[in-house]
Amino acid sequence: MIRLPRPLNKDIESDVWIDEDIWGHRLYDEQTPWLTFLEFLGIVQSEAVEGRAFVEKTYNALKYNTYNRLYLRNILFNNPHLDAILAEPIDNDNQWKKWFEHIQDNCGGIASPDFSYLKERFSSFRDFVQAVKFLQSSSIEGDSNKRWSSKFVFPYGPHCLYEDLRVTNNQASNDRRFFARTGELLYLMFCRAKRGQDVLFYLKKLGLVDNKEFNKFHLSKWDRLVATLQPDKDSQIIERNRTSPYLPYLSLPEYDKLAEDWISILGCDMPDYDAIPHLVTVTGLHIIIYLLNRAKETLKQKPQPTFILEIVAPEKTVVRDLAASSFLENNNLSKEAIKEHIRAIEHTSEWGECEVAHDPLDSAFDLLEKSFAWPKAKAKEDAVGISSLDKLLDYLCKKAITRHETHLGKFHRTWSKEIGLSSSRGSRRIRYAPTDSLLKTLVLCTVPFRMEFQEFLSELHSKYGFIIGDRQAIETINTGTADQEAFSENARRLEQRLISIGLLKRLSDACAYVQNPFAMEDFQ
Amino acid sequence: MNSSHSCKASNWIRFLRQYGPIPRNDNMYDEAIQRVLKRHKEISAIRFEPAHLKELVDNFKSNDPYSVILTGTAGDGKTFYCREIWQALLGSLDQWDSSKKVQYASVGDKTLVVIKDLSELTDEKNDCLKKMVDAITGNNQNEVYLIAANDGQLMEALASVNSDIDITPIRKEIENLLVLDKRETQKFKLFLYNLSRLNAAHIFPKVLEAILEHPGWNECSQCPFQESSEGSLRCPIIENKKRLEDKLFQNRLIDLLELCELNGLHVPIRQLLILLANAVLGHSDAKDKLMTCEEVPRILKEKKASLASVYSNILGENLSARRRESTTIFEVLGRFGIGNESSNRIDNMLIFGEDDPELSNDYKALVGIDPYYGANASYRNLQKAYLEGATPEEQQQFLDLLKIQRQRLFFTIPEEQQKEMHLWQLTVFHYAGEFLNNIYQALKEKKTERISNVVVAKIVRGMNRIFTGLLVNNKDELILATSGSFSQAKICRVFEEFISVQKKRGEYITLELDSDSNKPTLVVSLSANTNMQKAKMLLNLTRYEYLCRVAEGALPNSFSRECYEDILAFKTRLLRQLFARRQEEREEGESENYMVLRLITELDSNGMLHNPYSLEVNI
Repeated sequence: MIRLPRPLNKDIESDVWIDEDIWGHRLYDEQTPWLTFLEFLGIVQSEAVEGRAFVEKTYNALKYNTYNRLYLRNILFNNPHLDAILAEPIDNDNQWKKWFEHIQDNCGGIASPDFSYLKERFSSFRDFVQAVKFLQSSSIEGDSNKRWSSKFVFPYGPHCLYEDLRVTNNQASNDRRFFARTGELLYLMFCRAKRGQDVLFYLKKLGLVDNKEFNKFHLSKWDRLVATLQPDKDSQIIERNRTSPYLPYLSLPEYDKLAEDWISILGCDMPDYDAIPHLVTVTGLHIIIYLLNRAKETLKQKPQPTFILEIVAPEKTVVRDLAASSFLENNNLSKEAIKEHIRAIEHTSEWGECEVAHDPLDSAFDLLEKSFAWPKAKAKEDAVGISSLDKLLDYLCKKAITRHETHLGKFHRTWSKEIGLSSSRGSRRIRYAPTDSLLKTLVLCTVPFRMEFQEFLSELHSKYGFIIGDRQAIETINTGTADQEAFSENARRLEQRLISIGLLKRLSDACAYVQNPFAMEDFQ
Repeated sequence: MNSSHSCKASNWIRFLRQYGPIPRNDNMYDEAIQRVLKRHKEISAIRFEPAHLKELVDNFKSNDPYSVILTGTAGDGKTFYCREIWQALLGSLDQWDSSKKVQYASVGDKTLVVIKDLSELTDEKNDCLKKMVDAITGNNQNEVYLIAANDGQLMEALASVNSDIDITPIRKEIENLLVLDKRETQKFKLFLYNLSRLNAAHIFPKVLEAILEHPGWNECSQCPFQESSEGSLRCPIIENKKRLEDKLFQNRLIDLLELCELNGLHVPIRQLLILLANAVLGHSDAKDKLMTCEEVPRILKEKKASLASVYSNILGENLSARRRESTTIFEVLGRFGIGNESSNRIDNMLIFGEDDPELSNDYKALVGIDPYYGANASYRNLQKAYLEGATPEEQQQFLDLLKIQRQRLFFTIPEEQQKEMHLWQLTVFHYAGEFLNNIYQALKEKKTERISNVVVAKIVRGMNRIFTGLLVNNKDELILATSGSFSQAKICRVFEEFISVQKKRGEYITLELDSDSNKPTLVVSLSANTNMQKAKMLLNLTRYEYLCRVAEGALPNSFSRECYEDILAFKTRLLRQLFARRQEEREEGESENYMVLRLITELDSNGMLHNPYSLEVNI
């Protein structure tokens, strides 16, 4: 594995660089998989316009432009008076007039707003309202209590992509509140995956990214509807001077596996945008695996995390307990990794030199600044009263863990819940217990056409480290914590679940096949 | 009658009892039956003509025989078929040795290799399968194979064959045959007979006849309990046998089995034998819950003959709940919920019928008429107590009896009263009768005109509610709608198209019998263009029930999650066809600077969607 150099200390904005050293800059728990996907799509789109999508000429030097689309966003998410105006007993022209007045006074982020272009694009105010309502109903985070500038229209196509912003009066700025670079890391992963360009082809084919190879009508009518809500000038790219994200490794099997799964999903014959939720889910899963794998490497454990999955049973089972322990164990990995990563410095010759130096602490501050971008001046201020090198490292560990726990430490928990991998249903402990929609995604990614059920279980194990049936649980069974029966029951429950969502065909009591409904010629 | 009278225990009854759901169910296995028959020469076997036997034998007799794989679930008769084929080919069973795992015989100029159970093979398995592969690919002209295996073992064995040649294509082909329910392949010299595809409803009459006409019953002619006498009823075994001879009872049982098959639940022959043995001999108070001749005098003396009700035995009610649920046939029949489901009409009649002038005629004809299992003394006593204020204990006893009565009614309500009494409300599937008679039978008899518009209209209304997520009432056209983002969203307001039920420019919606599976299928045609495939969906009992209930007001998500997903998947396929049609016919005039979007915004006061809201946009 080739590790790429991290950014120079002068370019690092944070006061210590440890999480970032292991996982990159950065994974952020509050950026949900959906928001990560949107940030990612925005980058693909603007890089595609520049003709360099998924091409990384200089490593970790990504600089991209972006879209604001503030007219659209004000109309969709900062526009509470539509219904009231429509209900007023005034004619069409007056409805428009009244609304223009409202929106001009209340919109945000736009200097000298002018919404008059809308009137000639819709045959009536009522039509306009219907269109807005329709787009609102399918929006992302539309119902959440996030600020209006952090709500997103469904990604029907290039005209729907824009950046999360902070809006004050007529100013808009990127505060990285919800677009916190996780999408940038995702983008870099695809740049470095072997099949990145294949993914790009599919994204263009689906019409998510603008493209000249497909004709204009290739873009969906919904994308065009969204475009209609924007004045022509609003489609412009905004140039931003920004720092670049950092993804530490040049190539990893995780990048390739992620791309392979995307291609499996995008290769299925699904209508509309049905592929998108599956892409979001599987991205979440791969990033969780990426997170755990980096932690395991740091801890010098063998890679490929395992997840014991409970297929939810009506009552408490042994597997439920094991799934909860499995969750807890994985959840603690990143924190352990932080300690290990810091403590590893003790075994270096440089640290040894510090120990025998004239002023050990001072030399150590120098070394720690070099290694972890902990600015010496700041460190000296923080660590006042510390007398030994060991205590200093202790202090740094504590500091790093506190920082870690505010965001990255919550990542595994938040994301596994978001993608339907974990749940606390019927129990006080969180455990791995997949939802139906995750199961569906897994089938699309794993079963090209049809696959015998036991083979499916073993594929899930080798691809994702999922332990469901007794054959995969051999190690656990051998420790004596559970018997074979408990896990074969678990597998039987999975079978029932798959049948109930139309993904499994049982031929007899001895033989069952998992089927990918979107790969099939004839689905019955 | 003097109950100390003892009867001579019948060998036949003892033999039949071995087929029942008893702990040592010896007649589970062909080998065991053969052993008993060898020991007791006076008993003749239960025999009926097995399906496909002749064509199988003819195949092996022909000049160019194909190898045969017999698959099926436990109890489908795989070993039985092997033995029968052997006997038909060699004329006798002299050389048949059931202890041998692989047997050889010369048939014509070839060697027939019979493996009666693939899972018995251990070390020789790999070798055998390799040779079989040679035989079916035509590389080995000297041998022809007959292999019996359940499908799971077969696929696993094939996956682990260690051979110099790549057998994946063969494995894939066999998998295809299995999954797609096909018998032959163009590619190999092989027939695959899946005995699990034999329809239990078709075999059942043969098994029933073989049992009812069995010479063993002659032994009973000497029995003092064969007829009722003063103070005592007749032997319940004889009573049950006589009742099973009733055509109405038989037909209703066949209906249930037919519905099971239509619902994809297979019942092996062994289970049919268990069913019948239990029907005749079941008694909740007997040893192992199955009567022996020795117990009959005691049962009669204690006046417990009514506990042998054949109508409840059919559903395994005489057994413990655990045994009932672990026996395939009773688990499968149990899904109909007969006895637990009811209607006010039936329950009123059962409870108040004796005294209520409006109900008394029905009561007399349906309950009073049967003093054995119907209005017998214990029923009437508890009924009376129930009406006059019973103890909680008596109440419970009466409710238990009600269940038994409902089960009896399900099998005895005459054909002509079926509709009026809402017979199928005694099951979970209220629309099962409709499904069986108005759809399945009508299709089978090619009386498609009998499939009334009402049936299709109901299906269409149900689908429309699922497709849109709105309480629409349209029934003459299918509404295709999406959410704009996900085709499978719960609520879909983006209107795509109406598809007419009546024939109209190539569009139509109808029911057909699927030529492969012989099951009812909903067919939606979107275009007269023959290049465009029609969209088809298998309509099984559960799906039909689901659609009907949704059409009558149930919420799409409430009755069956599985059906909901199935129907949404079907919608996805319809949409795909619609988009294909649009491309084919260049339907939608897209324009550079103008477009129309159609949304479902409101329904009229009758819940009908007439025209979607058209939204015009200038780009």
